[in-house]
Amino acid sequence: MTILQQIKNKVRARSIHVAYVDVGSCNGCDIEVLACLAPRYDIEQYGIFVHNNPREADVLLVIGAYTPGWEEKLAMVWEKIPPPKAAVAIGNCPISGCLFNRRESFVDPPVKKHIPIAAEVPGCPPRPTEILQAILLVRDAVFANWEGEHP
Amino acid sequence: MGQSMIWYLREFARIEWIKKFLFAKTAPLVTPSHFRGFPEPTGKTCQHALFCMMSCPAPGAIEVVHAEDGWMPRISKGHCIRCGLCVEACPNGVLKSGRILETMERERTSLLFSFRIAIDLELCTGCGNCCTACPVNKVADAQMGAGGHSSNDEVIMRVQAGDIVVIHEDKCTGCKTCEVSCPTGAIRIARILEGFQQPVQEGSQ
Repeated sequence: MTILQQIKNKVRARSIHVAYVDVGSCNGCDIEVLACLAPRYDIEQYGIFVHNNPREADVLLVIGAYTPGWEEKLAMVWEKIPPPKAAVAIGNCPISGCLFNRRESFVDPPVKKHIPIAAEVPGCPPRPTEILQAILLVRDAVFANWEGEHP
Repeated sequence: MGQSMIWYLREFARIEWIKKFLFAKTAPLVTPSHFRGFPEPTGKTCQHALFCMMSCPAPGAIEVVHAEDGWMPRISKGHCIRCGLCVEACPNGVLKSGRILETMERERTSLLFSFRIAIDLELCTGCGNCCTACPVNKVADAQMGAGGHSSNDEVIMRVQAGDIVVIHEDKCTGCKTCEVSCPTGAIRIARILEGFQQPVQEGSQ
């Protein structure tokens, strides 16, 4: 690995842009993601910047149980993100549908079926610390050695 | 004016201040032990009352499965919402989560299940399927035949003169096997979850 690649790795891992998309949640997890931005958990001290534009994002936070309105649209959002990229499922809804996954409901979980998910954060809602930890782990797994893995 | 600017410059040039400014970190990402986490086993023996499954509001979150020795509740992450109702409803204290058990002991609270058997006599044909299917009846009277007739007084219900009679409603465990076996849907089991708080006695504390 050249020095330039090492610098690229370092800079990339220190500057994660996050976009979040709510595919039909109850807003509980949105509030917890919002709490990550607040001074108490302060997501920006890790170089993570919430920038709700998939074209500029590295990590996509998927929140919600996948309602029919998101068919095709979620995949479109995912394709707009330039690589390297990773999607993180926040909360029970994208994993199992949680309380909404009952008979006669229109949700279509898990989100794993529709886009590749790198990490899942269980909880209803998950704690801001858990969300932060998941993003940091995804950063270490995907972005910290991207140049070494994709020469 | 000039003096205060010099004061500020000196303040900002301090090494501690520069260190704090450049390497500021909020508290590390630790979860306090009193937060309700996913329920964990305390080591006590599960008696298979299934009250955890009955009280759970999230579909598919908790199942009581066969472990190496006896039964054990299994929590599915991704389904569990960490409400702690299973911890409170368990009569044997098999699960723990945060400080729920300590709080229950301090406040003398408990969640108790009771079951009511409701039979619609207009739909009931008196076939006795519910009596023979009931697992409690099987233990109380192993001789009970296909018609649901029994001379034993210890059974929950039996068929007498073509009609179903409920004798011991308090023995019901809420398994709803009778509901499944009923051909006309005449029998219904209501699971009632009540919260109790015992008063603190005078002079104690």
